[in-house]
Amino acid sequence: MATTEFDDAQNAEIVSLTGGDTTPQDEFVVPQGVKPPRKSVWAVFKEMPILVKLSTIWLVVLLLSALYAQLDVRVFHGSLPLADPNLQLNGFNPKTGEFGTGAVLESPSWQHPLGTDALARDTFSRALHGTYVSVIVAVVSVTCGVVVGGLLGSLVGFVRGKTETGLMAMIDVLLAFPALVLLLALISIFEVRDLFVISFVIGLLSIPAYTRVSRANSLAISNREFVTAAEAIGTKKWTILRREIIPNVLPTLLAYAMVAAAAVIVVEGTLSFLGLSVQLPTATWGNMINQARRDIKVDFGQVLYPALLLTFTVLALNQVGDFFQRRSSHRASSL
Amino acid sequence: MRQRRVVTALAIPLAFAFVAASCGSDSSSSNVTTAGTTATEGTTSTDTTPRETVPDVDTSVVAQTEKPVMGGSVTMGLEAEATGLRPWEDSCSSPCYNIMRTIYDTLMEEQGSGGYGPYLAEDLTPNADFTVWTMTLRPDISFHNGTPLTAQTIVDMFPLQQAGAAGASAISSSKLTGVTATGDLTVDYTLSGPNSAFAAFLAGAPLGMPFDPAAATADSAGYSTNPIGTGPFTIKSRDIDNETVVVRNPNYWRTDADGTQLPYLDSISFRPIPDEGTRLDALLSGTVTAMQSLRQGTIRDARAAGGNINLIEFQGNNTGGGMYNTAIAPYNDQRVRMGLNKMNDQKRVIEALGGTGISLPSTQWFSTDSPWWTQEAADSYPAFDFDGGKALIQEYVDDPARTDGKAPGEKIDVELSCPPDPTLIAAMQVIEQVWTGTGLINVKLTQYDQATHINNAVSDKHFAHCWRWGGQGDPAAQIDPFVADPAVSVANFPNYNDPEMQQWAAEADATDDFETRKALYSKIMTKINEQAILWYSGSTAVMVATEPDVKGIISWDLPSGEIGVGIPDAAVRWQEVFVSAG
Repeated sequence: MATTEFDDAQNAEIVSLTGGDTTPQDEFVVPQGVKPPRKSVWAVFKEMPILVKLSTIWLVVLLLSALYAQLDVRVFHGSLPLADPNLQLNGFNPKTGEFGTGAVLESPSWQHPLGTDALARDTFSRALHGTYVSVIVAVVSVTCGVVVGGLLGSLVGFVRGKTETGLMAMIDVLLAFPALVLLLALISIFEVRDLFVISFVIGLLSIPAYTRVSRANSLAISNREFVTAAEAIGTKKWTILRREIIPNVLPTLLAYAMVAAAAVIVVEGTLSFLGLSVQLPTATWGNMINQARRDIKVDFGQVLYPALLLTFTVLALNQVGDFFQRRSSHRASSL
Repeated sequence: MRQRRVVTALAIPLAFAFVAASCGSDSSSSNVTTAGTTATEGTTSTDTTPRETVPDVDTSVVAQTEKPVMGGSVTMGLEAEATGLRPWEDSCSSPCYNIMRTIYDTLMEEQGSGGYGPYLAEDLTPNADFTVWTMTLRPDISFHNGTPLTAQTIVDMFPLQQAGAAGASAISSSKLTGVTATGDLTVDYTLSGPNSAFAAFLAGAPLGMPFDPAAATADSAGYSTNPIGTGPFTIKSRDIDNETVVVRNPNYWRTDADGTQLPYLDSISFRPIPDEGTRLDALLSGTVTAMQSLRQGTIRDARAAGGNINLIEFQGNNTGGGMYNTAIAPYNDQRVRMGLNKMNDQKRVIEALGGTGISLPSTQWFSTDSPWWTQEAADSYPAFDFDGGKALIQEYVDDPARTDGKAPGEKIDVELSCPPDPTLIAAMQVIEQVWTGTGLINVKLTQYDQATHINNAVSDKHFAHCWRWGGQGDPAAQIDPFVADPAVSVANFPNYNDPEMQQWAAEADATDDFETRKALYSKIMTKINEQAILWYSGSTAVMVATEPDVKGIISWDLPSGEIGVGIPDAAVRWQEVFVSAG
């Protein structure tokens, strides 16, 4: 599967480097590069090992579940067939003005596929809503890391010099600081325990790691012949960064992001377990585990279900991340 | 301001005493338990179950009938390592008291009947206005190092107690100003004002546990690892966070009714095992032979475990619940507080706490088994009434003069805060669902670690705040600072300044007539309920569980033969514990 820069002439595309600028170097018109044929999603899926396939399916199911749970609340106002995740079925229901007759720590049934928790709430529904929290935390924090960390790392790895020294010194200081302590300190600053605030803070703390990963890749790519060639023909540094460095760093960074997302979900679970994540009674896998641990001897399942969700999701993200990391280890120049 | 700062420093240990474990325990005592069940279903928004019909748990202290056996040892699993073993300095909780009570005796002890009887003291007598208390010590009592316990010892302890964190707080609360030796064994305690409950302070660790002042002065820090008292056991080894071992004091001054030298046990090992489940498993597997717990969930698990364990439960004058900071809006309006209280489903909160059939619903600081409990106060506590509560909130919301500055019709903001314990988290969510369900309240649930939670209350950064009320000692010790002017007493955590309650508390301090004092405290409890300053969940249950052959945990007595109070705070008096031959 090794590819070369010009192994598919039919896809060759000649464009101006600067999109019409009139500076002298813009008079050079060079081939942008030959892009390998873009594979369809299905084709990529087919080439996955079985474990990665299963992982991908798992992640897709999770995404759809989270979407379904949110649609139920935000669009259909609870009319879809999914229990209210916060309704305590054995307590006073202000909407009906009556006391419920549900049971706490009920065994799984058709009505409650994962049983009920210590407050007689439907565990299946809470798990689905907890999925949404995990997805949002992962997406927001990974986006934060990839965009900011990726850009910074690519930049300093390419330009080098004092910029790199200064920035990487700061990054090293941040990395040297105990991450959990810093995270707890930042979280405590924010009065509002909003899902996006939590995600943003976690994302903020993941920037140093992304910066290091992207810088390492940027350093390697900066020494590749196509970058040297681009520099030799007088291409602007920003253009090289935009057209050569970042596109080559990005696949590796995204693959890393998949693995990092798993870690982020665990971090959110830790925060929830400590009572420092989103405000109750919002369900998260972490706070479900925390709240169920008291009854672990009575109903192990209430701890097991969210823990399994967390475990399988982390495993799946690692598998898929590793797959894409291997897959993105070679990339051609686009110039 | 300076005065308030001083009181702040003194209030912090008191605050820890109030909230110490945030999920535990107590009110009378029991030997093995029966669990009742509490129905939660109904068809109306009002709880119509008469409170008196709530099933009780067996809470009687019973005398030991089996003949004690000398020798043997016990290994006890504790929920935490002792914070320290210096009575004048270290603010103790249950694990600490379990160890301390092997090393130290108290001058007075609490009786099962609720009063206080002499222990190391032979006699304690107040003057007419309860401002001077004269204590006579028993003769021929020595510390573990052979130093005799005399009146001068008590006098020499006083400067250390004044300087110690725990001692200073107790001195302030008790109004103690001076200690004078009037004979070899006679001491006068002089107070700044009447305090008919002073005996209770001499039953507590900070003022009531004699220590060797010379050794403590020579090495205060070292005293925590090598404590010297007059108690039934002496320290053998103290490996912090691992194991503390005490062995029989061969020169202990007490004998049992048959004249047998106490204590019965050869030694006791204390091992901190913080995880509740692990500690119980350690007992069930025989790794330890006894354990204590202040968690209702553990009591439930211990009951369910069945098997071969001796389960001793105890409910004392300590109740879970919370308070409103009445100094800030909207909690400064009685309608809001009462509305919230009416919509607080006590039975379901207890269920969420894991206390159904374990913890009795509370209506005041005293459990139903306490001699201080009154029907008057019980009747004044609001039953669950969603419609009634909502109507009160609605009235406030529609009031153009509402105190929170919002426009009429806008929702009120309520922040409910508890430590991040799973049981408390569950209870918070039970309350939140009903309050939010009114459509009139924005409820924000917050959780802070216990130290921050306490500090928020001490520094007035609290709103609707989970808390624990009451204590095993005389009511005056906790009620006096609670009702005092909040400008000078940080222990008035709700900041409710009521001269009438202050007057009642002062009157109670000025008499030793039990019925008069009971009536005065009942008035205070009733007013607290009517003004909805606090809310209650249930009495907090504690437990000591042992292997079946460990006996005498609950049935200790005083030298007079009066049976003792039992195991408040799951703290065992070890002098009469024995390992049965059978």
